[in-house]
Amino acid sequence: MRRKLLDILACPIDKHYPLELFEVKSEGDLIVDGALVCTQCNRYYPIIEEIPVMLPDELRNKNEDLDFLTKYGDKLPEKIVKQGKPFHLD
Amino acid sequence: MTESSEELDIRRAVRDRYSKLATSNGSDCCGGVSCESPLVKIGEQIPVEASSVYAGCGSPLQLINLKEGDSVVDLGSGGGIDIFRASQIIGEKGKAIGIDATPEMIWRARHTAEKYGDKYRNTEFRLGEIEHLPLASNSVDYVISNCVINLSPDKLAVFRESFRVLKNNGIFAVADITLPKEIPDISRKDLDSWSACIAGALTDVEYVRLLQVAGFKEVSIDHVSTTNIGEYSFPYFSSHIKAIKKI
Repeated sequence: MRRKLLDILACPIDKHYPLELFEVKSEGDLIVDGALVCTQCNRYYPIIEEIPVMLPDELRNKNEDLDFLTKYGDKLPEKIVKQGKPFHLD
Repeated sequence: MTESSEELDIRRAVRDRYSKLATSNGSDCCGGVSCESPLVKIGEQIPVEASSVYAGCGSPLQLINLKEGDSVVDLGSGGGIDIFRASQIIGEKGKAIGIDATPEMIWRARHTAEKYGDKYRNTEFRLGEIEHLPLASNSVDYVISNCVINLSPDKLAVFRESFRVLKNNGIFAVADITLPKEIPDISRKDLDSWSACIAGALTDVEYVRLLQVAGFKEVSIDHVSTTNIGEYSFPYFSSHIKAIKKI
């Protein structure tokens, strides 16, 4: 996603806005990998290969989310890795 | 609201069908029963990667006068055809955002955008559900959609979310399948005909009523075409629906 799009992104669950952005890999204003976090409910939404994955809990894939956290655990804040909703690492 | 397992089944059946379409090279046109051409203007350029997986039933962009700098959201953007068309009109200052719950469609659309380089820089695709839009309230000028809302098991949620994200005086303009009267329960329960756009379709009357419940004003429905074929004993319409958010 492009950084300027942040100004209209909101949490699909509680509609909180704006979301907090954590970048893992960027190219100019293009964020390739990273996470968006709702500071209200502490849900995180992975950005994978430029696409923000902003699905509600019941359509998320637990294994994919945990793989994402494992892969980027050292580059993302602990509040996501250890406490993020809906799935986090122990 | 807790969701029934029936609703989840519908959402999964729909995702399955469209993820297969995304990885194919043929268009589906809403189950192959309501094929409308994408109504492309002469001279208009559309990436073949987007039009080859087109599955619409009208042309929402015909209903509105997009101009430079506008922001537009496409509910169920699929291969991205309407997003790419809008992108060329709204220019660099505009935003065209496609939302789709099918990962394969989103990846496909993104790869298309990437292939054409800077031309589609004002486009964004994100994986999301149209019943839970990942967009801020009062943030866009237009909500468009092409033959997708009939697939949703909770249409009022889609209309409420559309109303929420639109700015005041923003316009909801969609193409969709509608019915003249209620259809038998047996068709409603068939998930295959659900993802073929018929079983989930609303009647004209119900469509207007739900949009009004969501808060919309000046709701109108125009029938683009009427179809009566195959196993269904009733006709259905490819319709253009328009409504305005006025507070």
